[in-house]
Amino acid sequence: MELIQTLLNGVLTGLVYGVVALSFVVIYRASKIVNLAQGQVVMASAFFVWLFVLALGWPLWIGLAAALAASVALGALIERTVFRRLIGQPVFSVVMASIGVLILLQGAAQLFFGAQTRPFPQVFPEGAWRIGPLLLNKALLIGAVITIVTSEALHRFFTHTRAGLRLAAVAEDHVTALSLGVSVRQATAIAWMLGTGLAMLAAVILLSGTVLGLQAAEIGLRALPVALLGGLESVRGASLAGVLIGVGEALASRFLDPLTAGAASLVFPYVLMILVLLLRPQGLFGWRKIERL
Amino acid sequence: MSALPSGVFFQSHGAERALVRTLPQRLWLVGFLVALVGLPWMLSDYMLGVATLAGVTLVAVLGLQITIGMAGQLNLGQSAFVGVGAFTAASLASHGFGLWVCIPAAALVAGAVSIAFGLPALRIKGFYLALTTIAAQIMFPIVMIRLPDRWFGGTAGLPVDPPLVFGQAADTPRAIYWLVLVVAAIAFLGAANLGRSRIGRAFRAMHDNDIASSVIGVDLARTKILAFFAGALFAGVSGALYAYYVRYVSTEQFTLWLSVWYVGMLIVGGLHTPLGAVLGVVAITALHEGVHAMGGVMLAGLSGISNVSGGTVFALTNVVLGGVIVLMLLFEPLGLAHRWALLKAAYRIWPYPRG
Repeated sequence: MELIQTLLNGVLTGLVYGVVALSFVVIYRASKIVNLAQGQVVMASAFFVWLFVLALGWPLWIGLAAALAASVALGALIERTVFRRLIGQPVFSVVMASIGVLILLQGAAQLFFGAQTRPFPQVFPEGAWRIGPLLLNKALLIGAVITIVTSEALHRFFTHTRAGLRLAAVAEDHVTALSLGVSVRQATAIAWMLGTGLAMLAAVILLSGTVLGLQAAEIGLRALPVALLGGLESVRGASLAGVLIGVGEALASRFLDPLTAGAASLVFPYVLMILVLLLRPQGLFGWRKIERL
Repeated sequence: MSALPSGVFFQSHGAERALVRTLPQRLWLVGFLVALVGLPWMLSDYMLGVATLAGVTLVAVLGLQITIGMAGQLNLGQSAFVGVGAFTAASLASHGFGLWVCIPAAALVAGAVSIAFGLPALRIKGFYLALTTIAAQIMFPIVMIRLPDRWFGGTAGLPVDPPLVFGQAADTPRAIYWLVLVVAAIAFLGAANLGRSRIGRAFRAMHDNDIASSVIGVDLARTKILAFFAGALFAGVSGALYAYYVRYVSTEQFTLWLSVWYVGMLIVGGLHTPLGAVLGVVAITALHEGVHAMGGVMLAGLSGISNVSGGTVFALTNVVLGGVIVLMLLFEPLGLAHRWALLKAAYRIWPYPRG
């Protein structure tokens, strides 16, 4: 029974990773940009939520809507000033630019909000539901449901709508997409607005009722193995990979951590990431197009 | 030969391929080296410390230049390899080994660790490799503090005694500065010459087009791993120097943040030549010190905050650095080294405009 509880917690935590991974995937899927600054975007959205709901004291839902608008505006701003200008440049420049944005956002957040931690509004109900002997964290469970619904909706969007398929064409190849009349600019703009919107959702699910600080950005690098395991192009894969990694982490922390002074669960996602890269570089559901040697 | 190097020609291949080709170049070089050696008499102790740290950083960034700039393999974990070198040197030094053992051992251990993370290069390429180096960076502190305390000091870290150089304890800031200067000069020469060697040419070919280079006989997997190994050798040396300079190592000194800064320095300086590493390190160090010196005043004036902390200066530096990186990528992707080359060309062909 205790084991089932461990697995259940793993699934719920994993879906939180999943939603952050989803924001990576959405940006990649629609613009072929791996945004390493995604963690910082999540952090920035969280600061917006804090700003509107707690600092300015707006009603919760209005504050959340304002924060969502602010996050999307931030995404549009980053896309407009940096990544639009890099369309057609080598992947290398794009990754570097995302590192520049990472440094910039982290510095700006520290400058405006300071390094201290602050409370984050309680968006979802506190406490846990009891089902028989099992405890289910309410916030995480609601978050998990939202994650799954969102990822299904996005999956439909990317595979069953005209607009979504256009975005997929951009992820395949910029030049080809352009020559077929697909606007790469429009695609990157949509990608960033979707991605930052999702980052805001991730921030709320991740932080609801806890504390917010600069280290919130670390979720970005924790979600990177998840995005990679699921496959960078796979919207559904992100949540599934999140579950796998969450469960793996929970099991590692239960069975291996006592032997390794807590290292196993921390190292597990990254070891898995290296193995994925070695054995199946495209991830579980990614497109098989990574060039082989 | 005159001061203006117009009409320079060579009568042998050797003379043309030399690193220093003309008398004025030689004179400039000697003057520059004399200035570097004499720096301790010109700078305050604080600035000398900054210069020493810049030298230590330069060695790591030169390594990065080989991995990223020459071979085109993105490495976002350089500071983890620097850390491996630092811990190796500190640990060996605490067991009584001298400088001549510690620095090479630090380089080799860092190189060996880097191979483990370069292995996925057998299957993948490009940006995906950066992910394994991020993994190395994140795993480094987690693993390091859990290894037995006897090896690397665990969470407490390791103190380091000043090294003995030719029987003299290098325990003054000047002595450490000269030690770093000599090693950094050797590292620069090494990186510059590596670029002109067979391996360096293989790196370049792979960087420009990996499929074409494999057709002309470059063993890609081996060359990629070699690129990681070479970069990490420099990182290990940098780590050993760091250990000797700070005289204390702990995992908190080698963060992902530092790796990101190294890459930032290289972008600002220019990826394609070791000179870029030098210019980048100098520019970013100067930027950091400038923000450090003026940032406090500026911020206090802007927002009326009187207690400006080190954290705020760090944040402001990050904003400026991040902005500079993005601007360089957008407007001068070849970095300061390219500007320097343009300047030299303009000087050479003066009074004609542009070459």
